[in-house]
Amino acid sequence: MTIKAIAGITFKEAKRDRILYLLFFFAALGIVASRVLAILTVGDRIKIIKDVGLASISIFGVLMAILIGTGLVYKEIDKKTIYTLLAKPLYRAEFILGKFLGLVLTLLVMTGAMALIFLAIVFAHTGTVEGGLLVAVAYIFLELVLITAVAILFSSFSTPILSSLFALAFYLIGHLSWGLELLIKKMRPGAGRVLVHALYMVLPDLENFNFRTEVVHGLPIPPGIYLSSVLYGVCYTAFLLGLAVLVFRRRDFV
Amino acid sequence: MADAIRIENLRKTFRLGFIPRPREILKGITFSVREGETFGYLGPNGAGKTTTIKCLLGLIHPDAGTIEILGRSASSPRSREPLGFLPENPYFYDYLTAREFLAFTADLFGLDRGVKRERIARLLELVGLGRAADLPLRKYSRGMLQRAGLAQALINDPKLVVLDEPLGGMDPLGRKEIRDIIVRFKDEGKTVFFTSHILQDIEMICDRVAIIVGGRIVKEGGLRDLVSEKVLFTEVTVSGISPQAFADLGECVSTRGDRVLLKVYDEALVEAVVSLVHDRKGRLVSLSPRTETLEDIFVDTVTRT
Amino acid sequence: MKTPTRKGSATVLLVIVLLVSLGGIVGLKAATDRVVRQKLPGSSIIYVPSGKFLKYAAFGYRDLAADLIYLWAIQYYSTPTIDDRYDHLDHVFAIINELDPRFQDPYEVGAMIAVDGAREVLTEARDLSHGSGRGAYARSLIEAAFKILDRGEANNPDQYIYTFDAGHIALMTLRDYPLAEKYFALCMKIPGAPEFVERLRANAIFRKGDLKTAWETWFDIYRRAPDERTKKIADNHLYNIKATIDLAALQEAAAKYRDRFGRWPADLQALVGAGFVREVPKDFDGKDYVYDPATGKVRTVINPWRR
Repeated sequence: MTIKAIAGITFKEAKRDRILYLLFFFAALGIVASRVLAILTVGDRIKIIKDVGLASISIFGVLMAILIGTGLVYKEIDKKTIYTLLAKPLYRAEFILGKFLGLVLTLLVMTGAMALIFLAIVFAHTGTVEGGLLVAVAYIFLELVLITAVAILFSSFSTPILSSLFALAFYLIGHLSWGLELLIKKMRPGAGRVLVHALYMVLPDLENFNFRTEVVHGLPIPPGIYLSSVLYGVCYTAFLLGLAVLVFRRRDFV
Repeated sequence: MADAIRIENLRKTFRLGFIPRPREILKGITFSVREGETFGYLGPNGAGKTTTIKCLLGLIHPDAGTIEILGRSASSPRSREPLGFLPENPYFYDYLTAREFLAFTADLFGLDRGVKRERIARLLELVGLGRAADLPLRKYSRGMLQRAGLAQALINDPKLVVLDEPLGGMDPLGRKEIRDIIVRFKDEGKTVFFTSHILQDIEMICDRVAIIVGGRIVKEGGLRDLVSEKVLFTEVTVSGISPQAFADLGECVSTRGDRVLLKVYDEALVEAVVSLVHDRKGRLVSLSPRTETLEDIFVDTVTRT
Repeated sequence: MKTPTRKGSATVLLVIVLLVSLGGIVGLKAATDRVVRQKLPGSSIIYVPSGKFLKYAAFGYRDLAADLIYLWAIQYYSTPTIDDRYDHLDHVFAIINELDPRFQDPYEVGAMIAVDGAREVLTEARDLSHGSGRGAYARSLIEAAFKILDRGEANNPDQYIYTFDAGHIALMTLRDYPLAEKYFALCMKIPGAPEFVERLRANAIFRKGDLKTAWETWFDIYRRAPDERTKKIADNHLYNIKATIDLAALQEAAAKYRDRFGRWPADLQALVGAGFVREVPKDFDGKDYVYDPATGKVRTVINPWRR
């Protein structure tokens, strides 16, 4: 399968990117440092370890997805390796999907490695491994998949710097969805509110993948949200990749 | 015999720049390449050669016109299944070795394992990269990259090989090797379509040519048809006789020592020159008829357009 | 001719994918919104050691950081399902105050949240005196309220509201009258303080039981009263103080009479005759106090506040 082949070399290429290991190093540092921070805190120490650990995995995972993802398609075009590639009998969609899956695979490995360190630290502190932590990490990964799709979308038509900024903006907007919700509650009914409401439904709500707070504070997670969140992630990823293919198909490689 | 490539009324306009200014690059290209023939595509820089190739390969979407590869429309990726392409300045993934890169290319065609292995080994030998096969591509010289590029173009045993300036940047030995390989394609029944600036090479190996100038095909046809066997002039080098003796027979181009180089336009006058040399007891150093070359046609066509 | 069907069908498929996924996004967003989750974005704030540290990390956007943390705090503290959310109340508001000492709302609102929290922990303010666990917790919250207000006053000496609020809490919630007096005294001195603050102070003095000083204070207010209304109010208070003193004395004398003679006196004059009081006082208006010989209770002829 062409998609598999492209995913394979994308994984190989991403593996060689030093940024990946730099970010992994900082993530590991953050997770380990939480142990130290825990000493400074007043109150329940394990909470801060879990909090900082999950936050590290999340933040550095997002940075990995953005920094590598935004270069993926752009590099091929810039270095002209895309000419020989697209001259082969493959659909442009296959190219996009292959790149996407290659990076997702890379992130899976990195997230797994970071999670292992994290769980080891938690285990050293409490002697147990909570299932909730694994759930939180799994949904962090789902968020990374979505961010990867965004990065690839922007990479297919923009330079790495701009793409990174757009992807970062997407991430920030995704975590401020509650702000829009508050705004809608305070607006008076009318065209403005309808517009903001439409925006609210369409703009990403990345908090759907954020179970960190519940897991760390021991709050219950309503079961209905597990499936809804996964489907939401899948739909949004499909939408973004669809856009990427749409943009990429029409492109002329001069 | 089907057409390996059939292009009809191909048009493409680019809108470049922040405030798009349209530039019409291809103004209605029409030509065909028959199966089994070796076809040369010539033109000055900026005429639209590379754009034509990119339309053929689906890298650029034409505004109008038809492009068919072995009967299939070029807008479908499947049309490229029997096609192999070598770009002008090949760039490949520099962290892969030649072998890995060929394996990746083979995977794109879905070749199975046995075929893949055999073909990669054979191609590496063919292009002369047997020893360098496991070095990363970033360590390759320009010539080596060219060879690797040729190998990846042949991985699917294509019926049609498209080459963009395949002979540029290689030393004379390398150029001979590539020429020989291209001739081999012809023997194998492959169709070859390539662009080149080096007109001597085209003359040597092509069956048919097309000349594109300013986005239009201005000349198309068999090489033998375009390039007549007509003798333009004869160059005669003579020694031992002073130039004035030949004054009304030919043009004295240069003298060196006691050697005189003459350009004789009329074939009949050549006989007169030879007799003169014989009579005056001079020495005929060399005599070469200069026939019309492709270069002459090319320069003539381009300057005329 | 291009093969329109081949290319066209791929585009159609792509458009369908886009529309379906878009529909999925909107539908699933609605679905996830329906699920009730406890959202505490940024609850890790409690791990920040102090506002000083945050000041430098905010890259000069201190006011913005203060705003954001304040907004978060309001959401946080109005979420009733979070247990122990008051644990770090002063800490959180100390951070906000440290970041932007001139940001007025957080002082008042922080104190208000603290008092609300104390009420929430207990049902009656009276329990504050008990040493029970919940009582202690509620007391600590009230202390937090004062801490916040004191900080507000220290950082904004030109604003009277903090001492005012503190006095109010002391007066109404804590019923700590000396404390209330202290705050109202401070408040009075700040330019812009409402004119009734000195009356609140006077009232606190009365409530604390120092009737002599209360009388002197009210008398001073009466003297300086700028309008009839204030005069009337002071007048009523003076009446009330005199009545309190007089009624206490009369009531005590009546009790002594009863002890001696085994019954309540027939009238107040009897107390004079028995030598328990020198004379029967009249109220501030010169009227007699009303005595009920059946119960031995003395009261004013009129409601001091409805004169």
